[in-house]
Amino acid sequence: MLIVRPSTFSDLASIEKLANHNSAKISTLPQQRDKLSEKIDASIRSFAGDESLAGKEQFLMVLEDSESGAVLGTAGIDRCAGNGQPFYNYRQDELIHSSHQLHVNNHIPVLYMTHELTGKTLFCSLTIDSAYRDTEYFELLSRSRLLLIGLFRERFNDEIIIEIQGVSEEDGACPFWDSLGRHFFDMDFATADHYSGIKSKTFIAELMPSHPIYVPLLSEAAQAVVGKPDPLAEPNCQLLHREGFRVGKHVDIFDGGPTLEARVGDLNTVKSLQSKRVKVSETTRGGVKYLICNGSFSDFRCVIGQLTDGIGDVIRISQTLAKDLNVSENDSIAYAAL
Amino acid sequence: MMVIRPINSGDFDSLCHLAKNTGFGVTTLPDNPELLQEKIDKAEVAFAKKVAPEHAKYLFVLEDTDAKKVVGVCGIEARVGLQEVWYNYRISTTVNASTELGVHKQTPTLYLTNDLTNCSEVCSLFLDADYRKNNNGLLLSKSRFLFFADFPEMFSEKVFAEMRGYSDEQGHSPFWESLGKKFFTMEFSRADYLTGVGSKAFIAELMPKYPIYLPFLSEEAQQVVGQVHENTVPARAMLEAEGFNFNGFVDIFDGGPAIEAFVNNIRAVRESFKRHALVVKNPKEPAFDNKSWYLVSNRSFSNFRVALVPGSSIRQDTIDISAELAEQLQICSGDVVRAVSLREEKR
Repeated sequence: MLIVRPSTFSDLASIEKLANHNSAKISTLPQQRDKLSEKIDASIRSFAGDESLAGKEQFLMVLEDSESGAVLGTAGIDRCAGNGQPFYNYRQDELIHSSHQLHVNNHIPVLYMTHELTGKTLFCSLTIDSAYRDTEYFELLSRSRLLLIGLFRERFNDEIIIEIQGVSEEDGACPFWDSLGRHFFDMDFATADHYSGIKSKTFIAELMPSHPIYVPLLSEAAQAVVGKPDPLAEPNCQLLHREGFRVGKHVDIFDGGPTLEARVGDLNTVKSLQSKRVKVSETTRGGVKYLICNGSFSDFRCVIGQLTDGIGDVIRISQTLAKDLNVSENDSIAYAAL
Repeated sequence: MMVIRPINSGDFDSLCHLAKNTGFGVTTLPDNPELLQEKIDKAEVAFAKKVAPEHAKYLFVLEDTDAKKVVGVCGIEARVGLQEVWYNYRISTTVNASTELGVHKQTPTLYLTNDLTNCSEVCSLFLDADYRKNNNGLLLSKSRFLFFADFPEMFSEKVFAEMRGYSDEQGHSPFWESLGKKFFTMEFSRADYLTGVGSKAFIAELMPKYPIYLPFLSEEAQQVVGQVHENTVPARAMLEAEGFNFNGFVDIFDGGPAIEAFVNNIRAVRESFKRHALVVKNPKEPAFDNKSWYLVSNRSFSNFRVALVPGSSIRQDTIDISAELAEQLQICSGDVVRAVSLREEKR
């Protein structure tokens, strides 16, 4: 059984392995052990409701094979994008350069550096073992966050954003970075990304030039990828799109990748989420596959399981499922269609 | 004899002829008869002091009095940017630095400014190709400094010259291709022409207003920022020898430099002196290899005239002026003239 649950220190080595071996780079998952350890520590305290972290809660969940104990993926939520620091993006905008006298009316795309997304709830650090990328467990991992937010809306911002990885080439080169950021750093994307992970993204962003960027002055390769997701991120993009996320005006300052935005109440998972009291039975038959989670915040668990939904506020679940979710009779669970 | 004098309406045909031969890049002398007529009219009004000093636009011509032919033209705008808006890019430096990351990166950055507003401009210099010899170019260009020396109250304390920027033989400007063209589809020659006919402000208003980080431009464009067209190299060297400096202002279209000087720091202003004219019947002929020439002006505002005399004419208290020259300068013995050596004297 694969379970999504809060990360613990015992996951450290496995997460580090994931972070270093995954071909799709996750800049919010640092590649240094002590930074990862800090992130797990922050997550443990956040799930425990440590008030000293108010406004800087960072949640990191893992996808675990409960039989082998292997960690197969991670999914994170920052309660407030930027974690107390400014959270930078470029906003895509357009200037109209117009002259009646010269019969000119040109629309010029411009990128403005902003930190207006600071403080919104950010989904981040999504990574999964490549063997599981095209399975339903990818959906479990990604959407488990929506169940958590749906159940505990008061603990998160009403608006959610997700930064989608921008286009990079097979050799790791990033056309957007090469045409923009690189001029100001003299370092390739991978190096900048590395620093972004171990310092902070804000740290790097504040070294970027602050003036607006005229898109027509970027290389053609860079212009072509502004606001475009990397092909590897396409499946996740589609999933999020079906969920109710929309492409916003913001793009990543490093790789030009798009930012998806949604209000919590508009998301399908949140809208269709049902909560019922559990009746554990020895035998359950058939049913339909659901994403199911327990009702606990600090010991949140989410799995894919079969349920037969009926009328009434009680639902039968198998003993295995009860064990996986760590629930017993009369506890509540929540579920949404897979 | 070569004499500088104010332009007048009789020079219209000559001016049109000159404008036809300027080619791209001399934006202040467009091949457009209507506009040239307007320029003559404005100059006449300026020399007659029928316009506020700050709005005066002076044009002078170089005349070959023997051939009765106008062969060159030069101008002064008393103050730019008071009626229209005057734009330049200023090259500044942006530094991105982090000791932790070992990053210290200086990035040249172009800022759109109106910083030269209210300064005087020397402009519209053009000399017929057949006459580019015998110091005619220097006479034409530097005569204006004697005008500044005698009438500083009519001008700003600072004067500048916009130098034609680099373009290749086909008239393509790499700076324009890499910057201006991206903001509106127009060839450089067209933009150049529109600038000359007074639409520069219109075009400028279509240009990017935010600072431009230079590395965003093509390599070729980056290299020509602040560089002059190869035909303009001597003119730049001449002005720099007179005390003009490049302080980072470049043209928004072709990236050519604008070089500046304070009027009272210009060598030809600073070293000029006043002396009485002595009209002589048979002045000493200059030696065959004479290299010492002096500009002499008649110090008249409305009928300003300048010519060259050999250094041997300069005496302790007077300057020898031949009868013929006296006629051209419209002076007689005893009048005070202003003179300065044509080139910096080696000391």
